Amino acid sequence: MITLTHFLVVSACIFAAGLYAVLARRNAIMVLVGIELIINAAILNLVAFGRYDRGQYGGQVFALFAIVLAAAGVAVALAIILNVYQHYQSINPDDIRDLKDQ
Amino acid sequence: MSAHFLSILIFMPLAAAVLMLLIPAGKATAYKYIALITGGLQLLLSGYLYHSFSPGAGITDELGYQFFEYLPWIRLDMGGLGRLEIDYFIGVDGLSIPFLFLTALIMVIAIGASWRMTKQLKGYFVLLMILDMAVMGVFSALDFFLFYVFYELMLLPLYFLIGIWGGARREYAAIKFFLYTLFGSVFMLLVIVGLYFSVTNPETGAHTFNMLHMMNPGNYADGSIFSAVANQYLFGIPARLLAFIVLFIAFAIKVPIVPLHTWLPDAHVEAPTPISIILAGILLKIGGYGILRICFGIFPDAALQSAWWLGLIGVISILYGAFVALGQRDLKRMIAYSSVSHMGFVLLGAASLTAEGIAGGIFQMISHGFLSAGLFFLVGVLYDRVHDRNIYHYRGLASLLPRYTTFVALAFFASLGLPGFSAFIGEAFVIIGAFNSESAHGVLPRWMAIAGSVGILLSAAYFLWTLQRMFFGQTRLKGGDEWLGALKDMNTRETLIMAPMLALALLLGIYPAFALDKINASVLALVELVTGS
Amino acid sequence: MPQPTLTYPLIAALTAVFLPFAGCLINALSGRKRTNSGIAIGTITGSLIAAAYVFTQVWGVAPLHIQWEWFVIGTRSFYVGLLLDNQSALMLLLVPLIAVPVHLYSVAYMKDDPGIHRYWMYLGLFCFAMMALVVADNLLLMYVCWELVGFASYLLIGFWFTKDTAAQASKKAFIVNRIGDLGFLIGMAILYAQFGTLDIRALFQGDGLVASANVVGTEWVTSVGSSMPSVWLTAAGIAFLLGAAAKSAQFPMHVWLPDAMAGPTAVSSLIHAATMVAAGVFLLARIFPLFNATTLAIMVVVGTSTAFVAAYFALAQYDIKKILAFSTISQLGFMVMGIGIGAYHVALFHLVTHAFFKCLLFLSAGAVIHEMQHLKEKNKLDIDPQDIRNMGGLRKHMPLTFVVMAVAGLALAGLPPTAGYLSKDALLVHAFEWAAVQRGVAGVVPYLLLAASGFTAFYIARLVFKVFVAPSAMATTAAAHEANKWMLMPMIFLAACSLFPLFSIHPFDVGHVWVIQGMLPLALWPAASLYHTLVPVFATLLSLSMFAIAWRWYAKGTYPLRGRGLLYRLSFHQGYVDRFYHVALVDPLLRLSRFFVTIDRLVVDGVVDGCGRIGRLFAGLAAWFDHYVVDGLVRFVGKMAFWLGNVLRRTQTGRVQYYLFTMFFIVLMVLIYQMIIQA
Repeated sequence: MITLTHFLVVSACIFAAGLYAVLARRNAIMVLVGIELIINAAILNLVAFGRYDRGQYGGQVFALFAIVLAAAGVAVALAIILNVYQHYQSINPDDIRDLKDQ
Repeated sequence: MSAHFLSILIFMPLAAAVLMLLIPAGKATAYKYIALITGGLQLLLSGYLYHSFSPGAGITDELGYQFFEYLPWIRLDMGGLGRLEIDYFIGVDGLSIPFLFLTALIMVIAIGASWRMTKQLKGYFVLLMILDMAVMGVFSALDFFLFYVFYELMLLPLYFLIGIWGGARREYAAIKFFLYTLFGSVFMLLVIVGLYFSVTNPETGAHTFNMLHMMNPGNYADGSIFSAVANQYLFGIPARLLAFIVLFIAFAIKVPIVPLHTWLPDAHVEAPTPISIILAGILLKIGGYGILRICFGIFPDAALQSAWWLGLIGVISILYGAFVALGQRDLKRMIAYSSVSHMGFVLLGAASLTAEGIAGGIFQMISHGFLSAGLFFLVGVLYDRVHDRNIYHYRGLASLLPRYTTFVALAFFASLGLPGFSAFIGEAFVIIGAFNSESAHGVLPRWMAIAGSVGILLSAAYFLWTLQRMFFGQTRLKGGDEWLGALKDMNTRETLIMAPMLALALLLGIYPAFALDKINASVLALVELVTGS
Repeated sequence: MPQPTLTYPLIAALTAVFLPFAGCLINALSGRKRTNSGIAIGTITGSLIAAAYVFTQVWGVAPLHIQWEWFVIGTRSFYVGLLLDNQSALMLLLVPLIAVPVHLYSVAYMKDDPGIHRYWMYLGLFCFAMMALVVADNLLLMYVCWELVGFASYLLIGFWFTKDTAAQASKKAFIVNRIGDLGFLIGMAILYAQFGTLDIRALFQGDGLVASANVVGTEWVTSVGSSMPSVWLTAAGIAFLLGAAAKSAQFPMHVWLPDAMAGPTAVSSLIHAATMVAAGVFLLARIFPLFNATTLAIMVVVGTSTAFVAAYFALAQYDIKKILAFSTISQLGFMVMGIGIGAYHVALFHLVTHAFFKCLLFLSAGAVIHEMQHLKEKNKLDIDPQDIRNMGGLRKHMPLTFVVMAVAGLALAGLPPTAGYLSKDALLVHAFEWAAVQRGVAGVVPYLLLAASGFTAFYIARLVFKVFVAPSAMATTAAAHEANKWMLMPMIFLAACSLFPLFSIHPFDVGHVWVIQGMLPLALWPAASLYHTLVPVFATLLSLSMFAIAWRWYAKGTYPLRGRGLLYRLSFHQGYVDRFYHVALVDPLLRLSRFFVTIDRLVVDGVVDGCGRIGRLFAGLAAWFDHYVVDGLVRFVGKMAFWLGNVLRRTQTGRVQYYLFTMFFIVLMVLIYQMIIQA
């Protein structure tokens, strides 16, 4: 049987992958990918737990919201990255260090 | 009583000081004349007070004090500690009235001697006026806190007066004087506080600083630290005796006694002439007055116990001061040490606890007041002209300065106790009183009187040696012709200042009743208080 | 009891006392004027007339006493008053009687002296003080006058103040006298403590307080109920004796008198011969009842030794005034001895006669010195005008001076028909009578006195012969002339007074002397007529033989001795007493003084400065502590904050992923923490 646990494990793996991408990739787009993965992991979690709310479909509704928010977020983030590229000619997060304390 | 004469006398110089502060600096003569007029008015007022003072006992008896004023000053409810009661309580009795007059006179003399000052006159005269007020206050205060305020207030102007207008080592002398005197009076504050907590005002039931209440053993709370009945001990010594010793040391520094005297030569020598006059003429007397009024008045039992030691200290001061005076080269230092020696007589007289001794001591204080002021003024006359005080640099001044020599000779002979002048009465009766002490109450052994009288011989020695060395013989000066030109005889201002002092010494010497009539009753009351007879 | 009202004699006494003082004041205030001498002479003459009147009214009559309250100390009153009895009236007359001739003499002697107005002033002050002293009715007043007399003496000895010797001499005189004054003061203190009064009459009259006090066991008990250990009775006597000994130049406190000769000779004659020095003897006579046997014995010793030693010192002196000074000291010793043996009436009589002839001796010596001074200036010689070796043969040029000086010399030596014979021999007789009753070594006293008499005759004969009779030592003496008449007339008057008629009808018998009759003491030694005849005869013969020797040696010039022997040197150097005092007293005193000065500076003041240094040391320590420890703590805290901030600064890397990682990490930690807590 595929139990809740399996969903959670898969969700955790996706989360971990996403976390790795956010923290360790040198490309801002890849960081965005990682953020997407994290959000999707969370959505998966929500859907998995939606089974316990058959009456109001809470899990499903929350997941739809999250998908929309993720999309909006990606759109804004891509816009920022485009602007950053125009300014810094690089999208490596390590190169954008103007806020560093000298 | 009704016309607040005493307060006017005390605060007149303060008003003059305020007036001087308002006048812009630069009008030198204005300050001098304001000071002179204030001094003159004080002299007249104190003379009037002296004249209208009717001999009353005073000391412990409140009714005996005249011209007294009583104003509740600070009444503070301190919760658990009770009510703080400090009053503006002033008055005079036979003990203090001569000193008020003496102070006024010496201030006028000092102002006259300051006439040729040139440096920062505004500050100088303002400080002088504050000093004047403080000294008058000390002699009139009958509330211990008020007394302490005035007593401390004296130190500050003197510090500046010596430290700014003085001679070569003035800063050293000023700080030495200030710290030495302060050392004594700081411990006095402890005793004051102790007394405060021991004494209650019979009328209001609160603790009080009123000196007259402190003199009455009935006012002491049972079990309080300074109660005679409780007989408490502090550090192994009876508390009352300890308090007496502490107070005595505070005043003894001012007298000054040997070995607490070393501030005096430096302060006198480095101070400018007018300040030396005030130091010798008035300040030393505050020590004697304090011993009589406060130490003897408030702790008569301890005084009776300690009289032997006081007598010994007096004799040592007389002899030691005279010996050291004999070996001085600086004229002003010699006169400073002679002051130490003469004030030793005062202490001996006070310690004798006989009417003759104490009256002689007070008389000696009065007499020494103007005589030492005169002596320092005379030194100043010479110093003003040639700026050298070394005895060995002068010979044969008599042919050059006849009038000056006359004054010096008279002042010296008066100071060494020639009958006809006041110092004789003071010294002779101190000796007679000290001698009589053993017959009267067995307090002082007879040899102390005999030892003290040797001081009379020694004072003749150093004064006459100085007179002969500096004034007689052929004229020979270290500064040669330059000094010869500078040494002009005494001018009118100087004669006008000296003559009254010698005249007063002569007047008191020929008619001692002029002073004795006022002080006798108080002296008898004091003797009765201490010896109980 | 003191009288309440002023009677004529009392008014006259007051006039006599205060006239010279008025003269002094007028002269002081008017400065240098031609009238100075007139005022001085006028006042002293007036004083003399008043004193003579007092004398006639008081002598032989009950004493007069009046007093006024001077001041009150405590409960005791002190008075100023007059006591006129035989003794004081006699002295009151004596002083102006000597002073008037001296004043007249001074007019000529001190002529052209630039300080002459001061001279009259000081003389007036002296006469006032001396006369007040003798009529004072209590010891305090007497002490006042006693010191004033000393003060006047100081002024007069140091009159020529530009002379160093004079200035030193006046200082010495005052200081030695002060030692005596200490004694007087202590004596007064003892009497006051014991009896409560200083009134002379109350204390010392026949049945007075002193006489009625007794020594019971070891206590001196009075009739007023007080008592002291009996040693104080002797102490009081010795104290007053000390006072008198200093004032009357007794050995060893005589050292000021020879030096005092540096003053004008007229001053020496009045003060240091006739009056001031006699004050001591007068005091002793006044307070005689106070002295117990011990004190009297000491007095006899002091007097006798003074008489002998001073006469011995006079033998070898060259300065004419020094010879007379030692003569005075010697005669004062006689007087003090006289009081010591209880014969104060004779002592006072000798005081009176001595006043006349000693004053005369000094005045004539002054005339001679005056003349020698003229010779010195005229011939521009380098001599000491007072040295008798420069004189000689003046008899021819100054005959009258010679005669009066010879009369005075005879009086001093005690030969009839002078008054000096009466008084000196009376003293000798009483000394023998006293010694007859004493035991032990006291018997040597009269013989020492006889020896002193012999010396006296010798040195005065030596003086007179060397000055007047011997051949002149200088050729220029021929130009000398007789003294001025203003100098001669007083001297002649004094010479007349030195002869017996003033004092007694009978030239040889002292029992007829009216002065003595008026002052008889209460108890005398048994009179032995053997002494009354033998002693005067022997003494006279002794003096005459001394004259003969002196004649041989000085008038004839056959001086057999060489001036180098020990005895000679002892006499010439006045027993080295001055040197002794310097070495034994003055120098140690000055060294002690310097020692105390050093102690004062290094030790006493050193402690004070040391306290100051310790204070500054503590202040330095406290400042160090404050800077490094207390403030250090505060600064440390600041440094810590800075360091922490510096460390935390490093977290601001500016890298987004780093921030994200940090956020994640912290959340993770919180979650784990919560999980642990739940478990």
